[in-house]
Amino acid sequence: MTTTRRPSADDPRVMLDQELGVFEPVPPYPPRTEREAEFYTLGDGEMFINMGPQHPSTHGVLRVVLKIDGENVVDLDPVLGYLHRGVEKLCENADYHQCISQVDPLEYVSSLFNEWGAVLSFEKLLDVQVPRRAEYIRVLSAELNRVASHALFMGWMALDLGGLTPILWSFIERDEIVEMLASLTGQRMLFNYFRIGGVNGDLNHDFMSRLGNWMSRATEQIEANTGLLNENEIFVRRMRGLGTIDTPTALRMCFTGPNLRATGVPFDIRRAHPYSVYPELDFDIPTRDEGDCLARYLLRVDEVKQSLRIIDQCLHQMPDGPIMAKLPRLLRPRPGRAYSAVEGPRGQYATYVMSDGTDQPYRMRIHDPSFIHLQSVGLLMEGNLIADTMAIMASLDPIMGGVDK
Amino acid sequence: MDRRFKARLDARFGEVLRGPIRQRHDETEMRIGPGDVVPVMTALHDDPAFRFEFLADLCGVDTGDVMQAVYHLWSDVTPDWLRIIVDGLSRDDPRVPSLTFLWKGAEWMEREAYDMFGIIFEGNRDLRRIYMPPDYTSFPLRKDFHLPDDAARSPGGGVRHMEQAHLPTDTPAAAIRRTPASRQLPSR
Repeated sequence: MTTTRRPSADDPRVMLDQELGVFEPVPPYPPRTEREAEFYTLGDGEMFINMGPQHPSTHGVLRVVLKIDGENVVDLDPVLGYLHRGVEKLCENADYHQCISQVDPLEYVSSLFNEWGAVLSFEKLLDVQVPRRAEYIRVLSAELNRVASHALFMGWMALDLGGLTPILWSFIERDEIVEMLASLTGQRMLFNYFRIGGVNGDLNHDFMSRLGNWMSRATEQIEANTGLLNENEIFVRRMRGLGTIDTPTALRMCFTGPNLRATGVPFDIRRAHPYSVYPELDFDIPTRDEGDCLARYLLRVDEVKQSLRIIDQCLHQMPDGPIMAKLPRLLRPRPGRAYSAVEGPRGQYATYVMSDGTDQPYRMRIHDPSFIHLQSVGLLMEGNLIADTMAIMASLDPIMGGVDK
Repeated sequence: MDRRFKARLDARFGEVLRGPIRQRHDETEMRIGPGDVVPVMTALHDDPAFRFEFLADLCGVDTGDVMQAVYHLWSDVTPDWLRIIVDGLSRDDPRVPSLTFLWKGAEWMEREAYDMFGIIFEGNRDLRRIYMPPDYTSFPLRKDFHLPDDAARSPGGGVRHMEQAHLPTDTPAAAIRRTPASRQLPSR
């Protein structure tokens, strides 16, 4: 009598038979569009290589099909959707308060900006006047979040170029800030802190003492961290002139935020279309003219310094008063449409919301800067080496949670 | 609200407007038909009096009766956001000209609107699905696509939720979430 033995899970032959997890770069169906036909036609000496979806330097789950000639990238085709959760649909089936927690995990390193965009548009629909103290707390916490996000960017950028040390250094800063924000909001990453008409909790002692502690050494700490990269000749020579984009092209590609300002356009929503209390605060909009990876990196360093200025002013000008507007629990805005945008660490976070008079948004559109910037990687890549793909992608700083919504 | 900007828009685009220009908070809203998208957008982008060089957002909207393509533009000539609603696209075959000739960056936003609503942007070189898998046939953000946790339309009620409404025409009209007439905005 023979018994059929099931192969054990750690039998290596099991893995050999399975084709799961193998991604063919060329799709198994005929091309559907002009661009797809052009991309999936190989020229002389060209080949495809598949990068991702579980590649350590894609900042999430992104698959990129590279068309290469030798070691030069001729063209690339990003394949999205591995992280798609359908947040817009979920928001349309949730009420206005629940939407805030739904948009939180979009750009998970700068959640407060996601919340801010949504909350701002709901407040426009409802004609709510937010108390001034709440506005200042929002600016304060959001600028802290911007510093945390940029600190992470600097580490990631170096990591994608092969340097391991800077990310360890930048995580010191980031960890300090997220712990600080955790004592304010209760969460380290997905804060769920902003509310329609205000914020969830007032400043507390733990937060203020941590903030004071950090502010007293933040400037020199950041100088020390950036000195590691700014004065590193390997880093600077690798970054300079890499992935250059000029101003008209950047505008045509709908760039916003630091990536647009690195081409010399002083466009910042905080000044171009002011919201909250930014008109009362004094800060500069740093710009650079080169438009290459180094400019995008240095611009973010400058932005961190401006954020520290804003935090300092917020602490000095913080008014007393309530932190929430008086609102009913059940919100039923008048039918109408509202659009609002905030300047996040990556660019313009915008929310377009339509109300039909019920307690759920009829349509909620979330515009994410990472999505817009990622589509230019192909444009910036032409003629560069494979290893530079990730460097250029890192300099644009996309977060896949936001790209895939 | 920028009243003078409204007057200028009225003077320039008065004959192609569908309905009056609305203003609320810091937004100016105008409605045009799909045939006027290219001339209106080109004029707004190229005219030195408007200089709308910055496409802030592009998205699709399903009102239940018609489809709309909604554009948000920014310019330094006005403190308002300009919202352009391309109204009256049929739900069976929504078509609107692509804006990729002005903003190459609109390409992925149009792909997203196609993926989620099935709006066909004529002239977009790469109009394929972007989030959903290529063999997917539904359009998830349409109002006749219901989520599985919608209790009234659960699988227990005989509704298959993962793939529904393969063609926009086989939708039961009653399934669309409708606004009560008492609450309805005149524009919708």
